[in-house]
Amino acid sequence: MAPLDTALLVLLTPLGSAAVITLLLARRGAAAAAVSVTASAAVAIGALSLAFGGARFSASIEWLRFGSFAVSLGFKYDDLAALMLAIVGVVGLCVHVFSLGYMHDDPARARYFGGLSIFMFSMIGIVLADNLFMMFIFWELVGFSSYFLINHWREKQSASDASKKAFIVNRVGDFGFLLGIILCYWTNGTVSLTELGAAHAAGALVYSRTIPLLLFCGAVGKSAQLPLQVWLPDAMEGPTPVSALIHAATMVAAGIYMLCRIEVLMVEPALFVIAWVGTLTALYAALCAVIQSDIKKVLAYSTLSQLGYMVAAFGLGSAGAAMFHLTTHAFFKALLFLGSGSVILGCHHEQDIFRMGGLRARMPLTFWTFTVAVAAIVGLPGLAGFFSKDAILALAYDNNPAVFAVLALTAILTAFYMVRLWKIVFLGKPRSEAAGHAHEAGMSVTAPLVLLALLSVVGGYRGAYPRGFEGILSLVPEASGSTHMVVLGASLFVLAVGAAAALAFYSTDGTDALQVRFPGAFGFLESLKTSFDTAYDYYVAKIQQRFALILNFIDVVGLAGVVVRGVGGAAELVSSGLRSLHTGRLGNYVYWFLFGVAVLWAYAAGIL
Amino acid sequence: MSPSLESYVLLSAALFAVGFLGVLVRRNTLVIFMCLELMLVAATLALVAFSRFNGTGDGDVFVFFILTVAAAEVAVGLAIIVALFRTRHTIQVDRLNSLRR
Repeated sequence: MAPLDTALLVLLTPLGSAAVITLLLARRGAAAAAVSVTASAAVAIGALSLAFGGARFSASIEWLRFGSFAVSLGFKYDDLAALMLAIVGVVGLCVHVFSLGYMHDDPARARYFGGLSIFMFSMIGIVLADNLFMMFIFWELVGFSSYFLINHWREKQSASDASKKAFIVNRVGDFGFLLGIILCYWTNGTVSLTELGAAHAAGALVYSRTIPLLLFCGAVGKSAQLPLQVWLPDAMEGPTPVSALIHAATMVAAGIYMLCRIEVLMVEPALFVIAWVGTLTALYAALCAVIQSDIKKVLAYSTLSQLGYMVAAFGLGSAGAAMFHLTTHAFFKALLFLGSGSVILGCHHEQDIFRMGGLRARMPLTFWTFTVAVAAIVGLPGLAGFFSKDAILALAYDNNPAVFAVLALTAILTAFYMVRLWKIVFLGKPRSEAAGHAHEAGMSVTAPLVLLALLSVVGGYRGAYPRGFEGILSLVPEASGSTHMVVLGASLFVLAVGAAAALAFYSTDGTDALQVRFPGAFGFLESLKTSFDTAYDYYVAKIQQRFALILNFIDVVGLAGVVVRGVGGAAELVSSGLRSLHTGRLGNYVYWFLFGVAVLWAYAAGIL
Repeated sequence: MSPSLESYVLLSAALFAVGFLGVLVRRNTLVIFMCLELMLVAATLALVAFSRFNGTGDGDVFVFFILTVAAAEVAVGLAIIVALFRTRHTIQVDRLNSLRR
């Protein structure tokens, strides 16, 4: 099969699966699950065979034409897309298989698997899109699928609120994205990634600060960077596999991927802003993660923090480092989420880490794979996260010492909150009935954990990647000489400090040591966490709501009252006056006639 | 001695006034119609008088046309009155007021 046909099949298979499930299998959960998992397996196979096959191509067809403006649909399958597609395929398959076990007893299983399929379709569309308009279309589609899946347990008020919040906050970012696309078309005359790249190579590209910053708005929304990060922690209301796939490994990484796609448009001041937004997000989210007691919320803030790392890496000028961390993060964060899903399943949907404990003995496979993931995210040497995080730290050390300092501090916090989570969940004694009776789930839950744990180990070694990805991996900065030693020393130091502090500080007695011993610091972090939501609440309730009331007043009194009622009333007034002339008596009409003749005569005689 | 122009014009004006008053005060459609004819004839008389005293035939030609048109108008007007009586069973104008309100 030609590579182009394979790519088309990879894109359309999940769409077909979603259509079949929605139209035919809406009430047959088992069949729907089988269709969806088969489709995702096909996607994974297709994505990997494309990547290993080594073919790189681009093709497009014209879709719509308005005068001189044409929208085209097309694929741009380069090394970047190959890497991303492979991640989406592999993680997608793991999550689908995991969902078989996790969602086995869900009454709306067919809807869930249909949602997963439509998400896979949308995400693959983003990855393959060869122009910004097509990317934007699929960008909105993943937003919809995210909304749809967060809202899976729609009878829960908090879930439906969270889905609306995710959708609306993303709209804010997407508005900037759309403006950026329009501005890009206006200045450069094209939004095709291939043509933009060619123009860049020829030196014919119009550079500006506005375009990359507006496009970055889209990434801020989708990748949940400051100040639009508020939706991601709430999105944890969705089923855990959804959090693993959409809100950890793929969709939230789409912002980083999009930035890497439009790298040619970047200019220095924009990169500076991007680097600092990423850095501050990393620090802010790590601070928030320290006080969470919901296992998924810890991971959600951790995701935010790691996304901040990637954005910072991109802002420091290395798309390769960003994509490398995106790859390793996709593996170990998906593993963390699936591990937490396994824990939640084992503890009968208990999510409070202080009501767990002692799961090491009861769920050994989950424990060991989770441990691998924790070791990978905190950057234990030899695991995936170590290499990718060190690449970013080395990059920061060389380019911007301030960013390096903040990222190193974030790394301490990362080690701190991840070890805290690990210790409280798995060590000590069970602190609740559910945790005491926890048990490992079946193969469909544990197999993805093992596969992802394997990937979390080998994902950091370049030798583990097929030759096709060299184009991207060669972009990853390699520290050398003194930088290498400093960064290596620093990362080992922050890891040791963070992990040791957490191990020593937190006990497994079911209380948050920070809350007990330093209530001031805990309260500060708590208020830091809620500050954005409070500010947005204030803005919406006090400012926007009042503005809306003013507009409503203008509408009711001004438009509906004066204009609409006024015109109608005036016509009624005039007509009731005229109606009184219509007496129905011939004599009256004759008098009017006489009056008219008199006026006519007066006019003719020149009196009037 | 033949009558002066003034007497013709005065007669014409008097006839017109009689016709107009008739239109105003009478209730019977048929009578009103006759009064209208009277007004028309008054105008015709004035035209003939002017034509004679000016020594031109313009007014006379006008009168021929007016008489022809008036004959047609009477035919149509009477037909309307007959049709009106058939449907409403009255030709009193103060009772023909269904357009009011």
